Parts: sequence; C-alpha cells; structure tokens
Amino acid sequence: MKRRSVRYLSLLTALCCSIMFLSACGGGAKAPQGDTPEQTEQAEEASVIVAMGPNSEPEAGFDPACGWGAGEHVHEPLIQSTLTVTNPDLSIGYDLAVDMKASEDGMTWTVTIRDDVKFTDGEPLKASDVAFTYNTVKESSSVNDFTMLEEAVAVDDTTVEFHMAQAYSIWPYTMAIVGIVPEHAYGPDYGRNPIGSGRYLLKQWDKGQQIIFEANPDYYGEEIKMKKVTIVFMEEDAAFAAAKAGQVDLAYTASAYSDQTIDGYELLAFETVDNRGFNLPAVPAGRGKDGAAIGNDFTSDREVRRAVNIGLDRQEMLENVVNGYGTPAYSVCDKMPWYNPSAEVTYDPEAAKAILKEAGWVEGSDGIREKNGVRAAFHLLYPASDSLRQALAADTQNQLRELGIEVTIEGVGWDTAYDRAQAEPLMWGWGAHSPMELYNIYHTLDQGLAGYSPYTNETVDQYMDEALAASDLDTSYELWQKAQWDGITGITQEGDIPWIWLVNIDHLYWSRSSLKVAEQKLHPHGHGWSIVNNVDQWTWQEL
Amino acid sequence: MRRINGRERTVLWFGGALLFLALITIGGRFLAEKAMVTDFSRKNLAPCPAYLFGTDWMGRDMFVRTLTGLSMSIRIGFLAAGVSALLALILGTASAVMGRAVDSVITWIIDLVMGIPHILLLILISYACGKGFKGVVIGVSLTHWTSLARLIRGEVLQLKEAAYIKAAGKLGMSRFKTAWKHMVPHLLPQFLVGLILLFPHAILHEASITFLGFGLSPEQPAIGVILSESMQYLAMGKWWLALFPGLLLAGTAALFDVAGESLRKLLDPGSAHR
Repeated sequence: MKRRSVRYLSLLTALCCSIMFLSACGGGAKAPQGDTPEQTEQAEEASVIVAMGPNSEPEAGFDPACGWGAGEHVHEPLIQSTLTVTNPDLSIGYDLAVDMKASEDGMTWTVTIRDDVKFTDGEPLKASDVAFTYNTVKESSSVNDFTMLEEAVAVDDTTVEFHMAQAYSIWPYTMAIVGIVPEHAYGPDYGRNPIGSGRYLLKQWDKGQQIIFEANPDYYGEEIKMKKVTIVFMEEDAAFAAAKAGQVDLAYTASAYSDQTIDGYELLAFETVDNRGFNLPAVPAGRGKDGAAIGNDFTSDREVRRAVNIGLDRQEMLENVVNGYGTPAYSVCDKMPWYNPSAEVTYDPEAAKAILKEAGWVEGSDGIREKNGVRAAFHLLYPASDSLRQALAADTQNQLRELGIEVTIEGVGWDTAYDRAQAEPLMWGWGAHSPMELYNIYHTLDQGLAGYSPYTNETVDQYMDEALAASDLDTSYELWQKAQWDGITGITQEGDIPWIWLVNIDHLYWSRSSLKVAEQKLHPHGHGWSIVNNVDQWTWQEL
Repeated sequence: MRRINGRERTVLWFGGALLFLALITIGGRFLAEKAMVTDFSRKNLAPCPAYLFGTDWMGRDMFVRTLTGLSMSIRIGFLAAGVSALLALILGTASAVMGRAVDSVITWIIDLVMGIPHILLLILISYACGKGFKGVVIGVSLTHWTSLARLIRGEVLQLKEAAYIKAAGKLGMSRFKTAWKHMVPHLLPQFLVGLILLFPHAILHEASITFLGFGLSPEQPAIGVILSESMQYLAMGKWWLALFPGLLLAGTAALFDVAGESLRKLLDPGSAHR
C-alpha cells in the first residue's frame, strides 16, 4: 500500500513538473537581465526603459528596405530621418523636406531638402542619398509596395525628383515612413549597423533581449530631451511583472490587465485607429479560378449586411471585451482626414430584424432565419492566437443570435485564414496612417474582386482612382470620402457595407507616474513602436 | 462486518476508477453544448456555488468546460490508445513469428519511432494531418505503440521456444493458426494492461499538444487549451482557471494508472491476493 502511494505521489509530481516545464516554454517570457543595474532605481535623468511585445523586435534589423518603420506596422524610424512626417491630426508636416510639389498630372514629385543635415558618421545628407534610398526600397522592399514609383533622381544636392509610374497623390504619406539611408555606408549588414541622421543612434542590440538608443548629439531638429532609450521585449505577463517589480518605466499591456493596479504606476490609454472588424463576402458562393471556395450565399445579400451592421451593439462589445478601453468603429479609418463621418450608425436591433424580415429571411422553428432553403448562418473565423479577437467573435455570435442569425466561431492559423476569408467572415485588425488602406480593402484587383474579401463597386473604384490621381492632398481627401459614400452609393450602411467595423482598441501602457509621455497621435494597427514615435520629447517630472 | 480481502479490494479499486472515468466521459459528453456558451455578464468570477470552478474572461463556466475537456481527452485517449495497442499487438506478433526479414524491418521502425522525441513527432504528425481532433488522434496513435510492441515481441519470442508451441508446429499447424490459437490468449493479459497503461500517456500528450497550440482550436473545450489560456491570467491572480482543470487532469491520469495496476494484479495470479 505504501509503495503504491509513493508511486502516485511521484506521478503527480512528475505531472506538475511537466506542466511547469510546458508553461515555461509556452510563456517564452524573457525577463530583462540584471546587467543594467541603473534600470532598477528611478532611472537616471533623461533615460527611459520601455517594454514591448516580442513580435515588435525587428528581425531584419533597422533597414527600411527590410521593413523598419515602413513595414506591416508603420512608425517613425527614429534612427533615420524621413522627408515628411505625419502631424498629430494626421496631416503632413516636414522633416528633411522644406518644400514639395507634384506636377499637374501627378507624375512627378519634386522635393527640396534641408542642406544642413549630417549623418552620424559626419558625412552630409544629400539628395543623392534620398534618391538612393528610394531606388533601393523600390527594388528590394519585401514588405511594402513601391510599384507606383518609377525612379528617384537627384537633380542637385538639395533637390530630388520622383518619377512616378502612376499618379499617387498620397505619396507624402509614403515619404513619412521611409527612413533615409546613407549611400556611402549602405550594405547587406546595414540592418545591424544602421547609420542615419535621425534623433537616435543605435548604441547596442542584444538580439531577443534589448535595444539601446542614444541621442544623436548633432541632431538638426528640436532638442532631444530623453537622452537614452532602452527597449526590452517580453510577453504581456512578463511585462506586467516587470512593471510591478519596477524594472521598466513604461510597459505595454492589454485590457485584460486593466482592473489591476501597480504602485507608482498609472495606466495610460491612447486612442487608436487600430480597429477590429469582419468582412462579409459580397458575392454568392462559387469557386475561384484555382478552385478555392469564394463568396457566401448568406452574406452576399446586401440587406443581411445592413442588418448585421446596425444589429451589433458596439458599446456593449467595448464593455464586454476591452473593459471600455476603446471606441466604436464605423470604418477602417475613423477620425482620419479621409474618413467620411456618414459611416456612423446607431444600434437598432428592431430595425435590423425588420430589414431581415422584409428581405425574406424568416425565422424557422429553431429561431434561426431561412430564405429559399438558405440558412441564416455563417462561420466567423478568428486568428487562434488572439484572445481579444476570439472574445469579439464570441460576442458577435451572441448578439447576432438575437437577430436570428447563427454564427459558429472557429480559430484558424494565418496560413489558411486569408484563403478562407474569401468565403467566410474573418475577424481582422487594420488601421494605418495612409488612405491606401481603403484602396487595399475595397478596390477591385485584376480578377475583378477586391483582394481580402470578394466585393466590387465600379463607382467606389473610380473615386479611389481619381483620389490617387488628384494633384493635391485636400482634393484627394474629398475623393476618398466620396469613395466611402457619395450620397448614392458607397461602402457604408446606406451603400454596400461589405465590411463590418466593430471597435478601435485603445493601446494601454503601465507608465511610471513621474514619466510624462508626450502627446500621441492616433496609433495605427500594431501595439508596438508607435508609442516611442516622440520619445525624444518625453520628460521626467518631480512628483 | 467481514474484512474484505486483497483481491476484493483490488476489484473495488478497479471498478471505482472505471466508474469515475465513465462518469466524467459521459457527463462531459452531455455538457458539450453548454461548454461553448459565452456570457459576458458573468466573466471572471471566482469559484462560487453556482460556478464551482469559476468563469473565464468570456464568461464560460469552467466546471462544465473542464468536464467536457476531460471527456474529450478521455475519448481521444480511448481512440488513440486502442489504435496504438492494436498496432502494437499486430506488429509485435508479426515481428516475432514472420521470420528474420520482417523482424528486422519492424524492429528498425520501432527504433526509429522511439529515437525521435515523442512530442516532436506528435506535433509533426498532427500538423501534417491538419490539426484538430483527427490530427491529434492520428498523432497520438502513431507515436505510442512502440514500447508495447517491443514488449509483445519479446514475449512472443519467448513463447516460440515453449514446448507446446513447438509441438503445435510439429503437428503441422500453420504459423498463423499457432499465433492466433496459442499465442494471443497467452498475450491477452499483457495486452490489456498495456492498453490501459497507455491511457495516461495518451491523455497527457493530448493535453500537451493542445497546450502548445498544435491540436484543437481555442474555442474547443480541451484541457490543454484551458491550461494554456489560464497561463496568461495567472499573473492577474485568476488562479482558479489553472488549478482545478490541472488537478482534475492529474487525477484522471492517476486513476487510469490505478485501473491499469489493479487489472494487472487481478490477471496475475501471483499478486492477486497480496
């Protein structure tokens, strides 16, 4: 008897050990090493330690051609200067540029740059470096599309001309994310040893652990107040623990942690255009060229899409899923200069039911609607690794059940998600500092349907083409807005509504109470580098 | 009251363990619908009489979810252990009776499968089979048969030298008939105990593979999914999400061990009354 109980005890112990072992693997958390002792105390003046998610670490280094700044999640490149910048209201301002203009037909952009800028190795920054940068990213960028650019040419030391392959009125937004690299010091290992003219120098990079920036002493712009910036990479729970232990000054966090408190820290919430929403395939079910499923018989009914859009209580969703840290979303570009406010709708479940009934979708015996043998049902996919999108999908499921629509949620990997989204709604996250996102989502491609979810509307296409061809930004904003709704057709509630937007997620941070984080512009999608866009203007204050 | 003897006590242990496991399996099956329900009005509740194991961040009842998850684990374990054991019986016997060539091929396969770390091979097979329920079952089945197969092979090799088997051969019985008529009955106890002892392995491996995200999709109530989700909430002090499901998983695995050990004792006359 005794021997047996000993054995069970050891079995249990082994099990506990294995669970602990697995959790260590699964968490993958890396605590910051103790080799920077000054970090633990209230940091020496003008130095700050920021914790970001492990995915934010730039795998390929700090090369704009490999996605630094100009990748999937855009942000200011810090080490390099850009020609333009986006202002807090997302209009365009100047960094290196002092003047820019487009030709009448939009096919040539002429940009004049400052003549007093030096790279950190002492060499002056010339127009030839700018031209070199753009020709390089056009040729080798694997993450961003530069097909609208034909060629960049340096006319003299301070003037550069961009010859476009097609008119592209929003070119200044592209110029705001491409960091200028030095032609004389660019090579395959530039990503690891970047030289730029921006606010910071790369001091040290311990891969998988931390990145240390130091202020550029010769910076041409405003004085840099934060002299040293350390970025550490860790999982959410580790970042929380690090803040609790006082090891970091600012740590990213998620809404799930928002009911916690940490002594000496406050929870900062920044509004974003980091939205979540799902697509509704707008064509009937069929097969694409390669035989893959495309379209959906239920969601291809425009009335269904309209009913879904006003039948979802976004405010409740915010409370349920992100503890109120967010704003309702009505488009992919809420509050941007190119946003058309007519996208906004009010929650009205009765009207939603009426629309469905009128369209012929009547309730069956199990409370789920039907029309001509088609059941009012769809699969709502979400990325399996994203618990927030899972919760949004589950809430959508519950809310649509009230309308008589049956939703089944399913977690999928990104390897299959894009293809399956052609026939089934998927919970997406978007939000960029450029109107090009509208184009990517709603404009038809060569095959006659939009890329991420099948949809087509000639008028919408035309407005967006015109917007790209416009000669100045203000005209283009207007055309982008018309593409969303021009009074007759568009992609809003009154129009075709092929995508349903739910919420913009606030980006949350634990911040040491004495740290003053400078005013943020609306963060784009991606809870990463955006926060340090203006880290040079952060300050410490006496408490 | 009469004192129950050792054999009876073992029978009781065996029956009790089986009954408890059957209850979990059947109970979880009936609760499957309820386990998927999300209700945000009751999220993040600590254990209370209404929700014995508390609720998670989407307001799912963790008690129901844990039971359903365990039930799914047991069913996956049942399928996988069954297939695994059958594979072991066939290959082990074939290896022993079908001549040297077959033997070396099968032994080579056994060494090959044993040579690769279990969890690695499991992930690979499950991923290749498209994950999900099917992927996990195939993955677990194809990785767990080796040690039992080796055991059976050794047993059969020994049997082959036994006088009564040799006699059957001399009397003109075919090799297959000998194997079926004289060897399999002899192997059955070994086989049954091996089968039941495979369960805890299968269940724990199912849990670890879903924990690592290579098994079932996260809305499914599987024990590995529950445990991996609970990890990120531990730092927030939501201990109940990990504790109860973890304990129940450990308990289930231990109960299968109890059942297997009891069965071995019952079938082995030498130890039945000890």
